Amino acid sequence: MQEYSSQAAYDRGEAVCVIGAGASGLIAVKNLRENGFEVDCYERDTVLGGLWNPQNQHSALYPNTHLVTSRSQTEIPDFPMPDDWPDYPSAGQMLEYLTSYAKHFGLSEHIWYGSEISHLEPVDGARFEVVVKPAAGSAARRLRYGAVIIATGHHWAPNLPSYPGLDEFRGTVLHSSQLKDPSRLRGKHVLVIGGGNSGVDIACEAAVNAASCVHSVRRGTWHLPKYLGGEPADYALARLASRPKFLRRFLTDRMLKGPKRLAERMGIETPGNGPGDEEPVRNGRYLEHVGDGSIKRRGEVAGFDGFDVAFADGTEIRPDLVVLATGYQPKIACVAPELLGGTPEAPAPRLFARMFSPKAQTLAVAGLVEPGVGVLPIVHWQTHAIARWLQIRKSDPERAESFKLQVNAESSQHAVEHVDPRRRLVVDAEEYLASLGRIIDTLEQEPAK
Amino acid sequence: MSLTAWVRRARTPEPAPVRREIAVFEPADLFDIEIKDNPETNPVLCCTGDPVGAAAFNALWLKRIAASGRYAAAVSVRGQGGTPAADGGPEARAHDVVQAAVTVPRQTVLMGHGEGVAWAALAAGRYPAAGLVLVSPQRVPKQFPKPVGEPPVLLVVSESETQSKEVQAVAEAYGITPLTFAGAPDDVFKGAAAEALLGTVLSWLDAQQR
Repeated sequence: MQEYSSQAAYDRGEAVCVIGAGASGLIAVKNLRENGFEVDCYERDTVLGGLWNPQNQHSALYPNTHLVTSRSQTEIPDFPMPDDWPDYPSAGQMLEYLTSYAKHFGLSEHIWYGSEISHLEPVDGARFEVVVKPAAGSAARRLRYGAVIIATGHHWAPNLPSYPGLDEFRGTVLHSSQLKDPSRLRGKHVLVIGGGNSGVDIACEAAVNAASCVHSVRRGTWHLPKYLGGEPADYALARLASRPKFLRRFLTDRMLKGPKRLAERMGIETPGNGPGDEEPVRNGRYLEHVGDGSIKRRGEVAGFDGFDVAFADGTEIRPDLVVLATGYQPKIACVAPELLGGTPEAPAPRLFARMFSPKAQTLAVAGLVEPGVGVLPIVHWQTHAIARWLQIRKSDPERAESFKLQVNAESSQHAVEHVDPRRRLVVDAEEYLASLGRIIDTLEQEPAK
Repeated sequence: MSLTAWVRRARTPEPAPVRREIAVFEPADLFDIEIKDNPETNPVLCCTGDPVGAAAFNALWLKRIAASGRYAAAVSVRGQGGTPAADGGPEARAHDVVQAAVTVPRQTVLMGHGEGVAWAALAAGRYPAAGLVLVSPQRVPKQFPKPVGEPPVLLVVSESETQSKEVQAVAEAYGITPLTFAGAPDDVFKGAAAEALLGTVLSWLDAQQR
């Protein structure tokens, strides 16, 4: 390690290192502190809030971003959002919420801003040495921690597709995260590529602001409105989960019949068994814009040529602005993929119970799931479990052993690997929460005498 | 709060939102140069079963708490004082207390008096209070939730109440022995008994802070 200062690593004892001060990182810091750990949280940007903060240079926000899951299903379980907020708060409110969370629990004093973790590796047994690279050029520092929690999220490395001729295209091409200001759409002929939540939201913005909007979508998805049966859709569907299984199927189908028929009328297939299968699109306005013609749906883009864009069906259009709402690639840069169960060829992490490293006992990842419901509560319970595990790992070897067996069992239960890279992070919220509950019970129950 | 309890709550309708009356007294409001806001201390949020709600604490409590360098607040739950009435039982009132707690700038101590003991205790099962102070409990729930984040719990009762059923239930639920103050249970908000009671509570809070 010649490139780093020759000084020995500074030993932080049993303190825990949290990487990232976005929503997941903040929740991790709070839950670790609550369980009595010293915490250092490193944030490469100069602000907290991660993707929710427009001042963050990696922010994924696009114009008029709102939550797609409702307030009651998205708020952190032990720190509710104000109940006079709307059912679907905006990105600005979300940032306000996270800021007040950090302030309420005094988290800011544990965050080191402008500090990127460039590297981390296990040293003497279960401890970790991290290399902190400050943004402003001063020398890198090496520190040792008792444990590391990675909470870097998976919405910052844009997934940029390649099309023939895209590089020579004469119009403007922007990724959804570069759009920022809605006035860029005004009066333009806009082509939006990508049928996920961001693509659909941006198409709706373009439908009212732009001169014309064409939306290129490769495949069918479930389209849910934001309200079903007079209630926020995710809440209405989640409530059905408490019903007996046969009834749940029937009631869910009945509730989704309307949206399904509407989508089919607009020429959108609804794949698979239901919206729980993969992240559904949650936007009530989109299908109406398709219905009144302000959004024109097209198939896959075949290629770009000068000013023109050709579609796979042979038609051509001439857009001024192309928005690539093609999502993000999950990427964890600071740690060797092997430590998270990947291989150099297939670096995607394969974690125990979607959070624990299979190689190191004291390395965990928070928030690397796409549960199709609000992710903050899931991260809360994940970090709660991680904090408890770090606590009992030393103090109670017996329970630690039963925990390991439990986590192994939970992971093999969900061994169905999604081959499709797009769906690698998808979990069934119902099953995953139940599995988290069992893990927490194992960690907290009184040991059998 | 256990995961299952949260799942159950997230899938039941939220109580109707109300505009809550919250009385706040900060150390700076005392205009006393000797008293400084100490950011190391946790704020205190009070609620009581008394129908006047937050106003009950105006006479003495909020000022005394602020004089100890703490941010002091009191909330009127639905139907009390300046807060409009709305549907909902103890759970909805606990919701009001939690909603008030998240507006306090720092992690707060929850203080319940009378019927407010039940609401503060239920709220502490959903919000990681920095401490839980229960004064002269009345009409307590059958079961107390396990407080989130394992805060220290204090039970203070008047001498005449020590044998009451409610006090026994609370003491048993949290595994604590009640402290007593001299005076009648009605003297909580004013007078010498109230001063003594507050002295007990504040010195206990200071001891928790280390």
